[in-house]
Amino acid sequence: MKKILATVLASAMVLALAACGGGGGGTSTPATSNPATSNPGASVPSTSGEKIPIKVIAAEYGQNTKQWWADFQSDFNGSHDNIDLTVETVSWNDIYTVVNARIANNDAPDILNIDVFADYQADDLLLPAKDFVSDETYAKMYPAFLEQSNIDGTVWAIPDLASARAMYYNKDILDAAGVEVPTTWDELKAACEKIKAYDSSIYPWGIDMTTDEGQAAFAYYIWNNGSDFTDASGNWILNDPKNVEAIEYAISLYKDGYTNTDPATETRYMLQDLFGAGKLAMVIGPNSIPTYIADNYAKAETPEEEQINYAFAAIPTNGSNPSVSAGVMDRFMCFDNGHSDEKLEAIKQFFDFFYEDERYSEWVLMEGFLPATSAGGEIVAASDPSMAPWVDIVGSCKFYPTAKAEWADVKQGVINVEQQALLGGNVQELLDNLQAEIAG
Amino acid sequence: MSTKTPAAPAKAPTAKHSQKEPRLPNPSSKKLFRTVEPYIWIAPSIILMAIFIVTPIFKVFQLSMSKVTRAGQLKGFNNFENFTKVLKSPAFSLVLKNTIVWTIAVVIISTVLGFILALILNNKFHGRKIARAIVVFPWATTLVIQASVWNFIINKDYGTLNTLLMKFGLISAPVNWTPNPTAYFAWEIACGIFVTIPFVTFCVLSGLQSIDSSYYEAATVDGAGYFQKLFNITLPLVKSSLTVSTVLNIIYVFNSFPIIWTMTKGDPANRTDTLVTYLYKLAFYNGKQGEASAVSVIGFIILLMCASVYMVYTLRKGDDDL
Repeated sequence: MKKILATVLASAMVLALAACGGGGGGTSTPATSNPATSNPGASVPSTSGEKIPIKVIAAEYGQNTKQWWADFQSDFNGSHDNIDLTVETVSWNDIYTVVNARIANNDAPDILNIDVFADYQADDLLLPAKDFVSDETYAKMYPAFLEQSNIDGTVWAIPDLASARAMYYNKDILDAAGVEVPTTWDELKAACEKIKAYDSSIYPWGIDMTTDEGQAAFAYYIWNNGSDFTDASGNWILNDPKNVEAIEYAISLYKDGYTNTDPATETRYMLQDLFGAGKLAMVIGPNSIPTYIADNYAKAETPEEEQINYAFAAIPTNGSNPSVSAGVMDRFMCFDNGHSDEKLEAIKQFFDFFYEDERYSEWVLMEGFLPATSAGGEIVAASDPSMAPWVDIVGSCKFYPTAKAEWADVKQGVINVEQQALLGGNVQELLDNLQAEIAG
Repeated sequence: MSTKTPAAPAKAPTAKHSQKEPRLPNPSSKKLFRTVEPYIWIAPSIILMAIFIVTPIFKVFQLSMSKVTRAGQLKGFNNFENFTKVLKSPAFSLVLKNTIVWTIAVVIISTVLGFILALILNNKFHGRKIARAIVVFPWATTLVIQASVWNFIINKDYGTLNTLLMKFGLISAPVNWTPNPTAYFAWEIACGIFVTIPFVTFCVLSGLQSIDSSYYEAATVDGAGYFQKLFNITLPLVKSSLTVSTVLNIIYVFNSFPIIWTMTKGDPANRTDTLVTYLYKLAFYNGKQGEASAVSVIGFIILLMCASVYMVYTLRKGDDDL
C-alpha cells in the first residue's frame, strides 16, 4: 500500500516540479501566456456588427514595428468604414508557438507575417496568393521573390521585405597589413595570412556556424563555389563534391587559425561586435550592419577615433565563379478560414493599402530592411543613397530553398555537419549521411 | 491523473454541506461533514493543479504518441514512432549522457559546498546577516542573467577573467577558456553549481538551526571532537533537510534550461545539450513537436523513478523524518 502511495506522491511531485521547472513540457504551455504580447486594444471586438473583421499576426522586427502597425491599424480603420482590422505584433521568439497554438485551437489569423510558409501549406491551411492579393499589387513584387513561395506551380505567399548579405571589411586593418580587398578564395586565404602576420590579436575572418544561423555560412560557401542545396529539378544535392569542397575550405580557414575562436558558439552578433571593436578584419553580414554598429557606438558613446573605418564588397568566390549574395525574405500569407467573398475583398484592400508605394517604403526603411517591390526599391534607393547598392544586390541574390518541406531538417542538418566538422569530423562522410537522411 | 482522484468525492457535497454547517443538529451529518471537510479545503489546489499542471502534461503525452505536423496539427496515433525515432537518433545517447553528468555533477558538488557554507553561516560571527544575504544573491538573480555574466567572464576576447589575470601579470596573452566542448560544459556545470548552492545552504541552515544546542554541550562534556560532533550529531539531524534539497535539486537541475541555452544552445553538435535543450531544439528549430514530446516523456519517466525512490524511502521511515 505504501509503495502505491509513494508512486502516486512521486508522480504528483514530479508533475508539479516539472511544470515549475519551465521548459520541461514546454510544447504546449507558452501559448497561454504569449498573447500578452499582443497589441493593447487590438483584441477588443468591433462594436458595430456590420464590420468585416480582419485578424493579422505580424512579426516584431525591432523596436519600431509595434508602433508602426498601431499607426497602420488606425489609418486603415479610419479610411475603411466597413472593415475592422486588428494587428497583433508578436516577437520572433514566440511567434511560431503563438501561431501553432492558434491553429490548434481553430483560431488561425486571417493574415500572417512570418518567414516560413511551407509547413502551413503542407497542412492545407493557406490560400493561393492570387486569391487574396489584387492583380495590381501582385504585379508590384519582384518575380524572383514570388518564385520563392512557389510550390507545384502555385504561389502561396507574398514577400513583405528582404535583407541581403555582403562582405564587410575594416579598411584600416587591410591597409596596414598591405592587403587588397579579396575577391577569390585564394586571395582571401592570402589576405588572412597577411593580417595574421601583421597583428596576431586580430581575427582575419569571421564565421558563424551556430544553431542561430549556421545555415547561412553553409550557403555563403556553397553558392560561391557554383553549387547549391538542390539541383535544377529541385532534388537535394547536399553531398555534391562542390559542396564538400566549399565546406572543407571554410573549415580549413578555422583550422589555420584565421577565424574567430569558436565558430560553433559565437553568433553573428558577437562577430558584429568584434568587427565594430576593430578586432575582426572581415566578416560576411547583412545590410543592417551599419545601423547596428552606429547604434552600438551611440550607446557606448565611443569616441570618433576609436570607431572603425569600414566598407563592404562582394562575397569572395572560388576561382571564376560569380559572387552570390545570400538573401533572406519574409512573407505575408493568408489562412484559409472559409472566407466569404466580401472578406476576401477586404483582405485585398488590406494588401493594396499596405503596398501603396509611399507607405511600403516607410515600412521597409522603418527597421532598415530592403524592399520586395520594384517601385519600393526605387523610392528607397532615392531616399537613402547608402541603400542604393543594396537594392541592386537584393534584386539578384539567392534564397534558401524554404519552399521545400524538408528545409527545416536540412537547415539543422547542415549546421550539425559544420559543427561536427569543426570538431574534426570528415565533411564528405557527414554530408553523405545527411544526404541519405534527407533524400531517404 | 493520480492527483485528481480525491477531487471527485469533494465536488458534489461541497456546496450543500458547507452552507449548512453552523446549524448541524444531528451527529451523523456532522460526521459526514468532518469526512468531507479536508477535501473541500484542498479542492481549489486540486482544481488548479488539474488545469495548469495535469492538462499540459496530458497534452505532452498525447503529442508524444501522435503524428504532429510542423504547423502543430495532430494527425492521429502513430504507433510510438516518435519514441523509436528519438531512441534511434545518435544524438540522443550523447544528450542523455550529458544530462546525467550535468545533473549528478551539479547536485553533488553544490550539495557538498552548500553544506559547508551552511556550517560556516551557522556560526556566530560579525556580519553574519550580511553574509547570509549575500549568499542569496546568486539564487535571486535570473538564470539567464547569471549565464550571460558567466559567458562574459570567460570570453576570450573581452572577458573579465582574462583582463583580471593580465592585470595581475599572471598571463601575458588572453587564454581561451573554452578550447573544446568539454571545457564549455564544465563552465556550464560551474555556473549551475554557483546558482544551486544558495538553495542547499538555506535548506541545511534551517535544519541546523532546529538542532538543540544541548546535544553539542553534552557531547563537549563527553569529550567529543569537532568531527565526531559533525558526523554523529549534525549530519544525522540535518539528513532530512539534505534529502529534501537533494531530491528537489535533482528535479530542478535535470529540467534546467536557461544556463545551457544562454551559454551554448547545446552547441557544438549536441556536445553540451541536455534533454531539455535538445527537446526545445527539436520542437522549435526542427519543428518536430512529436519527437520533442517523446523526449519530454522520457525525461519525466527518469525523474519519476528518482522521485519514487525518495518517496518509498521517506514513507518507509515514517512521516516524522520528512
